[in-house]
Amino acid sequence: MKKVTEKTSSSLAAVTRRDFIKFSGLAIAGIYTIGCTPGLGLKKASWGFILVDTNKCQGCQSCMLACSLVHEGALSLSSARIQVLSNPYGSFPDDITISQCRQCTKPACMKACPTGALARDPKHQNVATIDPAKCIGCQKCINACSWAPARSIWNNEAGKSQKCDMCASASNWDETGGPDGKKACLEICPMGAISFSNVIPAQDDPDSYNVDLDSSTPTAANHARTGYSEAGSMLEHQERKRS
Amino acid sequence: MDVYGYTGKLLRINLTAKTVSELATSTYTKWGGGHGIGSAVFFDLVKDKTIGCYDPANVVTIMTSPLSGTLTPGCSARSEVQGIGAQAYPYSWFTRSGFGGRFSSMLKFAGWDGIIIEGASDTPVWVDIRNDAVVIRNCSDLSLWGKDTWDCQTTIWEYVRGTADMNAWSSPQTGSGGRTTQRPAVLAIGPAGEHLSRSSVLIHDAACASGQGGFGAVWGSKKLKAVSVIGTGSIPVYDPKGLMKTRIDHVRKYAYHADNPIPISIPNNFQSPPGAGVVFEILGATKHECAKRPSACMGCHTACKSRFADGLGNDSVCSDSAFYVYADGPDIVYRASDLLNKLGVNSLEAYYCMNYIQALLNQGIIGAGTAIDCPITFDNFGSYEFIEQFLKMLAYGDDGLGNPSQFGQDIAQGALRAAAKWGRLDQDLASNKLNYPYWGYPFHYDPRAQLEWGYGSILGDRDINEHCIYRLKYLSGGDFYGKSAAPITPQQVVNILLAKMAPFDDDELILDFSQENMYSAHMAKFVSWHRYYTRFWKQSMLFCDSRWPDFVNSYSDDFIGSTGQAEPAYLQAVTGNGMSFEDGIELGKKIWNLDHAIWTLQGRHRDMVKFSEPYHTKIFRGTSKDYLGKVDGAWTFISAEGRTVEKQKFEEFKTAFYELQGWDTASGYPTRTTLESLDMKNVADELEAKGKLGA
Repeated sequence: MKKVTEKTSSSLAAVTRRDFIKFSGLAIAGIYTIGCTPGLGLKKASWGFILVDTNKCQGCQSCMLACSLVHEGALSLSSARIQVLSNPYGSFPDDITISQCRQCTKPACMKACPTGALARDPKHQNVATIDPAKCIGCQKCINACSWAPARSIWNNEAGKSQKCDMCASASNWDETGGPDGKKACLEICPMGAISFSNVIPAQDDPDSYNVDLDSSTPTAANHARTGYSEAGSMLEHQERKRS
Repeated sequence: MDVYGYTGKLLRINLTAKTVSELATSTYTKWGGGHGIGSAVFFDLVKDKTIGCYDPANVVTIMTSPLSGTLTPGCSARSEVQGIGAQAYPYSWFTRSGFGGRFSSMLKFAGWDGIIIEGASDTPVWVDIRNDAVVIRNCSDLSLWGKDTWDCQTTIWEYVRGTADMNAWSSPQTGSGGRTTQRPAVLAIGPAGEHLSRSSVLIHDAACASGQGGFGAVWGSKKLKAVSVIGTGSIPVYDPKGLMKTRIDHVRKYAYHADNPIPISIPNNFQSPPGAGVVFEILGATKHECAKRPSACMGCHTACKSRFADGLGNDSVCSDSAFYVYADGPDIVYRASDLLNKLGVNSLEAYYCMNYIQALLNQGIIGAGTAIDCPITFDNFGSYEFIEQFLKMLAYGDDGLGNPSQFGQDIAQGALRAAAKWGRLDQDLASNKLNYPYWGYPFHYDPRAQLEWGYGSILGDRDINEHCIYRLKYLSGGDFYGKSAAPITPQQVVNILLAKMAPFDDDELILDFSQENMYSAHMAKFVSWHRYYTRFWKQSMLFCDSRWPDFVNSYSDDFIGSTGQAEPAYLQAVTGNGMSFEDGIELGKKIWNLDHAIWTLQGRHRDMVKFSEPYHTKIFRGTSKDYLGKVDGAWTFISAEGRTVEKQKFEEFKTAFYELQGWDTASGYPTRTTLESLDMKNVADELEAKGKLGA
């Protein structure tokens, strides 16, 4: 059962000072954003990570609607920066996948951007974001994304790319967004299937952003009473897939 | 001036000419959305309203609402289908049937407020909507005709997305640039609709069904297999900040909290925990013992469906999850549900048909050695083989094994038409072998007891399937499903409800279900309110019957639910329309009157409005105190034991209802005075021209 506070995989890539300068464009050591939790050996990133528990997801796509609403002021599945894919004929838990931006420590999308539009935002804990003023719509960030479906999103109406910024730029909302603020998807999710953590998940593990958000809280027993059982946890499912 | 909530366009599809065109939604926005717009469009486009359901001139509409595709909880996902239906007997009334899922949302993202289907194709076709690119395609290219509903949908998904990879971005509309990760939303008929079984439905995804009305057969008569829609656009909102705040605050205050699961007394409503509608989960013997998740329609705050690790029974709820609940094993229940949805068969009709055939077989009226040869026996009832044969018999109109069968042809037309053909209709209705109380629809709830259900159904066009008042029985403190005693008193329930029932909120006796009051003008007001409320807020704005109304809510400090405040708040945030809840009731009255005008033009007269005979002659058996009643000056819950619907008193009730509506009491026809007061002079003119205007 992969818990939010669990020690991350040894496959986590070490982040050197040179890498930091390369990705942030900043030469000031004091803004270094990845550190360790003393005593626990957990590596953290200031911009944080959206984690999901696909076992808990009810497939309502409220997160997608909320994301587009707070960013664009209009509801859209296509411009949502979190994507929920649902197969009504599938078998639980493989009937739903949630594709949120992984906020990679070494983002391929940032490396691919020719204009610097996709860069870390120092005003929002260095979350990777796309400046629409600089974006030329070349879509290299989308093509470079290591994950399918690509986490950088093509906004056809704007003619530009966009990506999850932890709601740092969400202007159609009365809340303050960003890594230190509120995230619309997390707030709207009626199932508590979305969480946020500064602990860096294993970067090369496709399942590391799917975590068990249920069993450590009283909600597991409550869900069981409603008939929604936790028989078959996420970890057990992952173990079966690997075997 | 910007208009929010509406895309501004209705898609008009002519299957005869195989053309597509647009109608401006602005012509119809005064009707709200959903049902209101559908009725108005039908009225305008169908000149001769006496046509039959299979006449190519029958117009079928699929409408969204301004709240479709928004974050309005228990509302974003509903679609409303209307047209002259095939199921009812003996009159094919203009009727309706809604369904959930994600179709209406996707239609809005594609830029359409609704779809209008006219004419009939000469060859099987399906409609391919990709944003504003709409093509009527031959089924032969993908071999769709003959496929079950699931196979049809998955085939279309792959075709529209241009890839079998469902985990990727696709650009379904060439040249537009819009992308999506989503599967198209498809509404399809199965073999039942193709074979004009009057027990056929429209299916979306696994188990979202436009179930009542027999629209599957109507589409089959038009040779329309499916409508697919994929949209990559967006829906602008008047007040995005307001919508987010309304949704978050409302759900936090009134909805189920896993961290604070207050035992609620009313299942299947706004405050329900997830999964509440899956009946085979509630019945212990059929509980699906495998890992599962709640499964919700788009934008809903708490799921009524579930999906399972074995992939069986996905998204099946209510009667389609329980119609074969007496099977030999639970896995057969789930597989039967899946087969029902794949074939596109109506679950309630299937259940009552099954009961009817068994009764006739048991009494030796049909079957071997009789004049009515029946290819099915009940020797293997409970098995999957039995239900497979039975459902295929209903779907294909054969013996269920692929062989021609007159019996199969007869029963595929519905139990009542079959009985009529066999010369047994009157006697089997009288004996209640055929339990079909209203307009040829099978029994759902009892007209002798659940008064608003029976009256609403018989004064309308079908089994209403609106649980708004029915669910209040769970507050009676009875042991229904083993729930604990109600947290509030009957007087509190009355106070809460009455406050939400303007313009009749000054008459508490509208809620008195006692025998003494069941035919009164008070009850006529209540039935009227319920018709107006459902016509607008549930069928035009599309608030889902599984979650709304929110009358009594255990999460609210004073048990007062959010209905009356919540609905207008969402409408305001999305559209900027300052319509009040009472304004919606008033518009619902207008829509109800338009529907009644259509039925009148179809040929309705008050003499036709009657329940099947047993409900007038046989007494209701049920001692459970489920209904509000005022006894000796105090509100309590009462039973309906021993009642019938007395014919003469029912006629008096009809007169009271017609008087309240402003209809001619002798005929039930609408009057010019009433119609013009509702800004429907054109409707009055048409009625007058057809000799159907009341005095």
